[in-house]
Amino acid sequence: MGIHSVGTSDAALVRRVQAGDTGAYADLVARYRDRLGRYALHMLGNREDAEEVLQDSFVRAYRSLARCDDPERFGAWLYGILVNRCRTAGARAARRARRFVHDPVALETAPLAGPDGRAEWDDMVRWALARLPAESREAFLLKHVEELEYEDMALLTGAGISALKMRVKRAREQLQAMLKEAERV
Amino acid sequence: MFDQVEDAVERLTRHLRRAVRIDPALDDRVMRAITALPAPGRATWLGEMWRWLRSPHQLTVTPLGGLAAAAAVAVVVVLIRMDSKPPAPHYEESRAFQFVLVAPRATRVSLVGDFNDWDAGRTPMRRTGTEALWTAVVPLVPGRYHYAFFVDGSRWLADPSAPVARDEDYGAPSSVLTVGGGGS
Repeated sequence: MGIHSVGTSDAALVRRVQAGDTGAYADLVARYRDRLGRYALHMLGNREDAEEVLQDSFVRAYRSLARCDDPERFGAWLYGILVNRCRTAGARAARRARRFVHDPVALETAPLAGPDGRAEWDDMVRWALARLPAESREAFLLKHVEELEYEDMALLTGAGISALKMRVKRAREQLQAMLKEAERV
Repeated sequence: MFDQVEDAVERLTRHLRRAVRIDPALDDRVMRAITALPAPGRATWLGEMWRWLRSPHQLTVTPLGGLAAAAAVAVVVVLIRMDSKPPAPHYEESRAFQFVLVAPRATRVSLVGDFNDWDAGRTPMRRTGTEALWTAVVPLVPGRYHYAFFVDGSRWLADPSAPVARDEDYGAPSSVLTVGGGGS
């Protein structure tokens, strides 16, 4: 899968936008909306923040389109902008959470408190992802969900390949531990 | 629940890989937002040169070439020192203009125009004590400017108290301000 462009028309669309055809940008937005939205949704944990970050990323990409060195790899370039915006939004959300949530026990057990006393699978996944450190969650999602190569991940995140491998490994271990723990509840 | 813990992570991964559908209305919001922005254009030759200067390059210089380059630098330095009288600077005098918009229900407003490249991030307007008035002060040199207000990240308003012009670039209404060289 990777972060390669979809055919050759990404570059053609980018060049049309650069030449002043703003409408062509709508095709790029529609093409990448759902795919990038998935990453933002899993990274941030809620749809409202994810859509806000996604919109912001598309607008920022448009403003910087003159600096897109390789229009053939517009998708990878756009992905880099999204990853950065998710980091910023995630840090902001973490600060917000620290201000309003003061009960770590309630925080940890909240997703498991369904009517039947067990979380739905969807809630459990969200709960487990949210408990991962942001760096580990980012690395895990890019590797195992977006299925990127470590070389691409290094370009997107600015982290070294060995550091990324370590983050993915730790994320898997932590997820295993959390799922095992949830199974016992 | 899980036969093996590893299976749980694999199952979680499969779950996360499912397609996610984002509201297509997002496309309209993006397109509305970029309508207020200048066209991105292509990279300029100056930008390309700056990028080239910032990226590493391997240069091979012979001893003779190195000496010639050093001599050329020395000549330039001497010429600059000989011509030490600076040219008289020519500045067009700018004056401060206050822009005001009445928008009691707005949560954020930016002033965009020719003077800030229609960049909504460069001139945010400040809400005054009455909560209804938004103001921004911009220094302008004599000239003719198109401008507008960008409200809540999506709405584009012409100044109701100024002549309206249809902007040729974006198709959205904007206002015109003419700053004269003399008194007004």
